[in-house]
Parts: sequence; C-alpha cells; structure tokens
Amino acid sequence: MKISKFLLSAFILSVIFVSCNNDDEIQEPKGDYENGLLISGEGGASGSVYYVSYDFSTTESQIYKKVNNSELSVYLQSIAFDNSNAYIVVDNQNTITVVDRYTFLKKGTITADLELPRYMVVVGDKGYATNWGSTSDATDDFVAEIDLKSYTVTGKIPVGNGPERIIAKNGKLYVSHKGAYTTNNIVSVIDIASKATTEITVNDNPDELFFDNAGNLVVLCEGNNIYDASWNVIGHTPAAITKINTTLNEISSEMVFANDLNPSLLEIHGIDLYYNLGSKIYKMSQTATTLPTSAFVDTAAGYLYGMAVDDKNLYVLDASFTAESTLNVYNLATKAKSNTLKAPIAASKIYFN
Amino acid sequence: MMQFSRFLFYLFFFIGLNFYAQEEEVVVSLNVVNIQTVKLNKHSNGYKILILSDSIILNNSESFSSLLRYNSPIYIKEYGAGGTSSASFRGTSASNTAVIWNGININSINNGQTGFNSLNVSLFDEINVRSGGGSIEFGSGAVGGTIHLNDELHFGNYVKNQLVSSIGSFGTYRNSYKFSFGRADTAIKVGLAYNESENDYKWLGHNLKNENGAYHNTDFSFGIAQKLSDFTKISFYTSKYHGNREFSGQLPNPSAAKEKYKDLSFKNLIDFNYKKNESSHTLKLAFLTEEYQYFADKNSTNFNFGKSRRYLLNYDFNYKISSNSSLESSSEIESAFGKTNQIKEENRKQFSQSFIFNQQIENFGAFNAKVRKDFNSDYPMPFVFALGAEIKPAKNTFIRLNGSKNYRVPSFNDLYWPALGNKNLIPESSLQGEVGLGYKNNQLKIDVGAFFINTKDKIVWTPSGDPERPGVWTPVNLDDVENKGLEFLIAYKKNIAKHAVNFNANYSYTISKDRITKQLLPFIPKHLLNATVGYSYKKISAYYQHLFNGEIYTTTDNITDFTVPYFNVGNLGVNYHLLKTKTSQLVLGVKINNLFNKPYQVLPGRPMPNRNINLNINYKF
Repeated sequence: MKISKFLLSAFILSVIFVSCNNDDEIQEPKGDYENGLLISGEGGASGSVYYVSYDFSTTESQIYKKVNNSELSVYLQSIAFDNSNAYIVVDNQNTITVVDRYTFLKKGTITADLELPRYMVVVGDKGYATNWGSTSDATDDFVAEIDLKSYTVTGKIPVGNGPERIIAKNGKLYVSHKGAYTTNNIVSVIDIASKATTEITVNDNPDELFFDNAGNLVVLCEGNNIYDASWNVIGHTPAAITKINTTLNEISSEMVFANDLNPSLLEIHGIDLYYNLGSKIYKMSQTATTLPTSAFVDTAAGYLYGMAVDDKNLYVLDASFTAESTLNVYNLATKAKSNTLKAPIAASKIYFN
Repeated sequence: MMQFSRFLFYLFFFIGLNFYAQEEEVVVSLNVVNIQTVKLNKHSNGYKILILSDSIILNNSESFSSLLRYNSPIYIKEYGAGGTSSASFRGTSASNTAVIWNGININSINNGQTGFNSLNVSLFDEINVRSGGGSIEFGSGAVGGTIHLNDELHFGNYVKNQLVSSIGSFGTYRNSYKFSFGRADTAIKVGLAYNESENDYKWLGHNLKNENGAYHNTDFSFGIAQKLSDFTKISFYTSKYHGNREFSGQLPNPSAAKEKYKDLSFKNLIDFNYKKNESSHTLKLAFLTEEYQYFADKNSTNFNFGKSRRYLLNYDFNYKISSNSSLESSSEIESAFGKTNQIKEENRKQFSQSFIFNQQIENFGAFNAKVRKDFNSDYPMPFVFALGAEIKPAKNTFIRLNGSKNYRVPSFNDLYWPALGNKNLIPESSLQGEVGLGYKNNQLKIDVGAFFINTKDKIVWTPSGDPERPGVWTPVNLDDVENKGLEFLIAYKKNIAKHAVNFNANYSYTISKDRITKQLLPFIPKHLLNATVGYSYKKISAYYQHLFNGEIYTTTDNITDFTVPYFNVGNLGVNYHLLKTKTSQLVLGVKINNLFNKPYQVLPGRPMPNRNINLNINYKF
C-alpha cells in the first residue's frame, strides 16, 4: 500500500518535473476545443455553443451539453474569456457559467447579485459584467464586479440605463448603453480604481465597441425607431460610427449614416472595419472618413445576426430561431463563399479560441 | 313544461348520439334549462364527444391543465405546473382549440387562445370535449376541437349544497361551495371557489425549488332561470374570475424568475327562449370582459396590460320539419374591443349567419349539414361548411363520418402589435375529415377515429416576415400544415356483487407536418396515452391515473439534440364514504400525484412537481 502510494507520488512528481523542463517540446493540446471557432446561440429551448476547427475539418454541436450533461438555458447572450476560462453569460437566468475555455468542463457558476447580465470583460482576476437590472426599472442598471477566484460578485457600479458591451483599456472600462428595452445614447467610462464614471453622449443605441489601431474607441450607434402616437414606425434616428478620443473622452470624429440606413453589426480586424446594412456587409479602412457606397459582400442572409473576421475569412451567421442557424464563411481575398456549416439556434456570436 | 321536456326527450332518444361518460353518470334531467350539452350533441352527428362529469372534475382539481392531461386526448403545453398553459388538439396550434362557456367562444381576442391555468373549472357541472372542427357553431379557433364548460340549471323541487375542501403539499388549499335550488318555475345556482398554493415544489434531481410559482384565485358563478309561461323561459348566467400567479423559472437558476400575472374575467349571458309547436326561438345577449396585468418584475409596480370587451347578440330559430328532421338558423352580431398598453383600442365587428339541417333516418343513423358565412370589418372571411353522419350498421356498432372547413382569425396582437402587427393578415383556414368506428353496449365503449386536417395560411411570427425589414419579427400567413392521426378511446365498467371496476383510456397518435419543409412540427408528441383504472367496494373506492407523454422535438428542423424525452407519470387516489344516503354524502379522499416520484418535464428546462399529496373532503347535503 505504502509502496504503491510512494510510486504514484514519484510518478506524479516525475511527470510534473518532466513537463516543467520540456518547454521546447511540442505542446499538448489544451483541450478538444482549441484552435477553432466557438459559436454561441441564444437558444430556443436552451442556449448552446458549437465548435468549428479553423480548418473546418472538425465540427461539434452542443459542446457544453456534451461535456457537462446539462443545459445553459436562455438566453445565451455572450461569452467572455481569460487565459484559461470562458465565462458564458445567460441573461434571463441571471447566470454566468464558468468553463475551461479549451475543454469546456464546468468550473462553477455565478448567480447571486446578477440581474439580466449581458456582456463581461476580464481585467486581471476580476470580471466586469454589464447588467440591466430589473426590467421595470431604468435606474437600477449596474456593472457587477466579480472576483474570478471565488466566482462571487464583490461590488456593483451603478450606470445609466441599458448597459450592453463592455471593454477595458488602461485601467478603464468602456460601456455602451443600448438602452435595454428602451433606448439610450451614452458611452460610460469607468475608472476601475476609483469607480468614477464619465458619460459621453453619442447617437442613439450604441452597441459594439472596439479600439482601433490609433487607440480611438470606435462605437457603432445603431439609431432608434421613431414611432407615431399609434406606435407605427415612421422613421429612424441616424446611425453612426463614432470615434472617441479616450484621453479627452470626447468624440473625435463621426460618420453618420443616411436616413433609414441602420447597421446592427460592427467588427474590426487588421486595418479595416466591417459593418452591415441588412444582409450586406461593407468594408472600410479604419482611417477612412467617409462610408463606402458599395457592399463588400452580399450574404443574402435571411437574418444576419452575427459576424467575425480573421486574417483569411469573413464569418457570418444567418440566424434561425426555431431551427439550427447557418454559418457562412467568405474568403476575404476572393469574396467567395467557401464553407457553409451548421450553427446553434439563434446563433449570434463567434469567438476565436 | 310538457312541450319542453318532450322536446328534450326527442333530442336525446331519437337522434343517434354517442355519449362517452368516463363514469356512468349521464343522468339526463328532462328539466334541464340550458341546453348547451343537448345542443352540442344534436349538432354533433359523426363527432366524438367526451364527457367529463363533475366527479372527474373533482378528482382532478389540481388545475384545468391536469384535468385535460389525464382525461382527454389533448396535449397540454404547460410552462411548469401552474404556469402559462396552452392546448394542442390533434396536433394543431394553441389558437386552434376553442374554449366554449355556456355556448360562447371565450378564447382571448388579444392572443386568440385560452390560458388553461387562467380558469378555475371546479364550479362547472360538466365539461365536454369534442374532437374535430366546429367553426360553424363556435367560430374562430374551433379547428382541432372544442372544450365546453357548462353550467346546468334545472327546474324541480330541490335544495342542494356541496362543499369541497382540500389541503395539500406545497401549501395548497382548494375550496369550493356550490348551492342550487329548484322549484317548478325557478332554478338558481351559486358557486364560490378559492384556491391558493405556494407551489414551491422540488425540482427532482437538482437541489432547487420552484421558486416563483405561487398562485391564488377566486371564482364566483351565478345562474338563474325563470319559466315565464309554458312556452317561455329566461335565464341568466354570470361568472367572475380573478387570478394572481407568478411564472416560475427554468433550469439551472429558478431564482431568476420574477414574473407575475394577474387576470380578471367577467362573463354574462342572458338567454331568452320561446318554444311552441314546431318552432323554437332563442335570443341570446352576452357581455364579456377580460383584463390582464403582466409584471415583468413582481417587485415593481410597473406592468403591461391588456383589456378587452365583447358584446354579442345571437338569434337562433329552430324549426321541426318533421318528426325526424329540423332546420336551424343562427344569426349573430358581435362587436369586440381590445387594447393593450401598446395598442390603442381597436374595434372589430362581425356578422355571421349559419344554417344547420338535421336529419334522422330510422334504424339507420342521422346526419347534419351545416353552412356559415361571416362578414368581418377587418378581413375577408371564408365560407365554411360541415357534414357529419352517424350510421348504425349493426346492433351496438356505429360508423362516424365528418368533414368540415374551419377558420381561425388573426388576433388583435397579430394585427395591431405596434410596429410589428400585420394588418394584411387573413384568417387561417383548414379543411378536415374524420372516419370513426365504434362499439357501445352497457359496459363497454370503444371508439377509434382517423383524422386529417390541412391548414393553409397559418399565421406565423418570423423575423423574415417582411422582406423589406429583415430581422424584424412580424406575423405572416405562411405555413401550410397537415395533421393526421388516430384517436382511440375505450371505457369499460363492470359490477360484480358489491365490487365495481372501471377502466378508461385515451390514446392519440399524431403526425403534424409542415408541408413546405416536410419536417414535423415541434412541441407535438407523436404518442399520447392516458388511462384511469378504478375500483370500488362498498364505501371505499380507489383509482389510478397514468399518463404516457411521448418525446417532442423543440426545433422546426427536428434535431435530436433538443428534444424533450418521453415520460410516464402516475397518480393514485382513494376515497372513503363516511356518509352515503340519498340526501347527503360525505366523502374523505386522499390523492397522491406523481406516485413514483419521477422527474419529468413537459417543456424543456421546466421540471414538474415531485410526489405530492392532498387530503380532501366532499360534502353534499
């Protein structure tokens, strides 16, 4: 008994020793879901995550369910990552599920003190998640500060109505306020150390946020519907791609869309920006000052609901809410569609893993 | 008096009808005032009617959803016990089952459906379930079938009281009191019910509870009938329901659920009847209101609301052509007003005219032929028709045949929802047929029917509904759906000395297919079986109920990753008669639901209750 224990310990130690001393050997795969796309779907019956390897040779549906034998429920809004974990944000369940980002094994859940969580960003060993709060209260929205060691909410930073996307840079959090069930037109800047908050007014319904190569904060403002007294849509407020100087926290430039042209997706990659109008995708240089007039690709998607870009490809999600969605892959160089793959129900986000 | 009872006698005994009482308690009072059941049967040659007696209603007092789930061929989609609940009859959609209160369609004009947990059925004397279309008699939504909630009033010399009270698991209390009084010229009925439950049942297999499922509701009903002369009588029915429910959540985090729903419904009906010789005239005036408040967060005072009111005037003329044929004309005007916090008040006016011809052929069978045309202020209405026949080829056997065209009109939400509603919608129209075979004697009834329904222009909400606005969810007349299947019913009863046994079962096999995609429709089980076996000896009786609910798909592409697995669930009840005389009965009962304490879900992520028990007392005096 003792000898076997000793042998086991010796074996374990030797493995650790060996692995610690073989940095230059080929790395073991970190898990089945490395080197590929993770596609998340908000869900019909339940939200789900599909995996597609970068060479498209391996695809796997429902990876969270397969690994953990349970469901994530509705609606899977987004996933945040750090070096080892993926944080799956499910809004109506007030739940962030923590999994190993490469094996998708569940490590824990965060449920207390969240209320309609939407997006999260990781800064060091803290997570910051936007929350809409009560659906009936536009003044209780907050950013939850989460301790990623204990998976507990350790603080709440009150913010304006409907916080959506959140990104971080140089000790500051940047939050777009799409307005939850109503509308809003601000970007909040939160100093992580002091929790001091500054609001920058932009066009209606700001959603995607990125930093461009010049260090500007790029915001996609989608514009809002204008209703008449009987709630008929009679027009839209103007959409814009807005750049904010983060030193001054002021708008440095703005490209406003023509009337009733309302994009819903924005991506940034390399030196370019990509956005959509309906099912058409437009491409422009990050430094351009005018919007392109012709589309880069017309995806003909029934409902273009998600988009991502890497060095080679443009990935778009044509969402179905009652059946599996479709992932279409376009070659950036040829603009030709190279692959069509299955994606989750109500597929909305694509992440590179 | 004489005339009227003769009329009823004629209806009951000379027209070839089949009653399927699950318990042998079809006592036909010749003094029944409201003839809803009679009229339903008269118009239903070739249709299957299931009768749920008051004792079945009492044994399934948990909810209207569970009453239907264990005793009818209808699949009930329930979002956790006590949550929102809708019906799928013969594989049709929620708005394709019409609920009829004393002859009047009470599906909501806002969403076209009835919520099966927004109704308390304990005060009704009888509930009938008719399989198959019935737009001619009951209008919109009578496609898969109709459910009839009936109050009975009858003349005679009596005073009756009934008190039912139960206490059960999860802080559940149910109480109802019914009083009825009759004289030769007058009949009165009063009912009161109050139910409440914490409904915080365990989610088996998880360390979780149904956290936001509490409910309480109050129900009041009143009916009065007065004979004015030998030929004339007038009756009045009213019913008021007030419910307050929380909507429970989903796995894995039930504490996220915060929704609350309050609803109020108020129904009134005046019925004036004049019958002399071969003619009968009935004038009906109904006024119905409905109101709901939906709280997305129960801790907040903010809510969304919907309100509707309907005025209905109906004139029915029935003429007996000969001793075995009659012609009936029914004219109806309806004005419906509906609004929500987002829809300003809209008004829909409708006029309809229908004719029904009944013919009975001696020693052979009977048939109905029916036609109806509606004129509507909002959209064009289809001309609908129905044929039904019942043939008796040999003793104790019958053949049922029916075919009909039916419709479901767009709801106010479909038409007027701000920015999304589509004012160009037309009614869904559906063509159906059924062939049934049956056997019936004093102990055994068997009925097997094969049905086919094709529904065109089905209203579907889709993000690609408007090509000009991709991504915006709008309703369109899109789907072409066919439903086909079998409905099987068996009822058996036998008495040996003081022992009595009975057995009832409903089985349905349903295939609902989208004709465009060729896929099966989600949320419809292929196989559905419920059965009850009962035994009684002297003062004690016991029954066991079983439900087998087949697997369902939850996606339109039928992927197997998202199915809800089949389940079996059983309930056991025992009743003991402490007192059993002609004038008074006192029964003590106990019922164990989910006897085997099995986890099951009707809809994904929404566990149903673990084993639970209720003790009840039923005192008739």
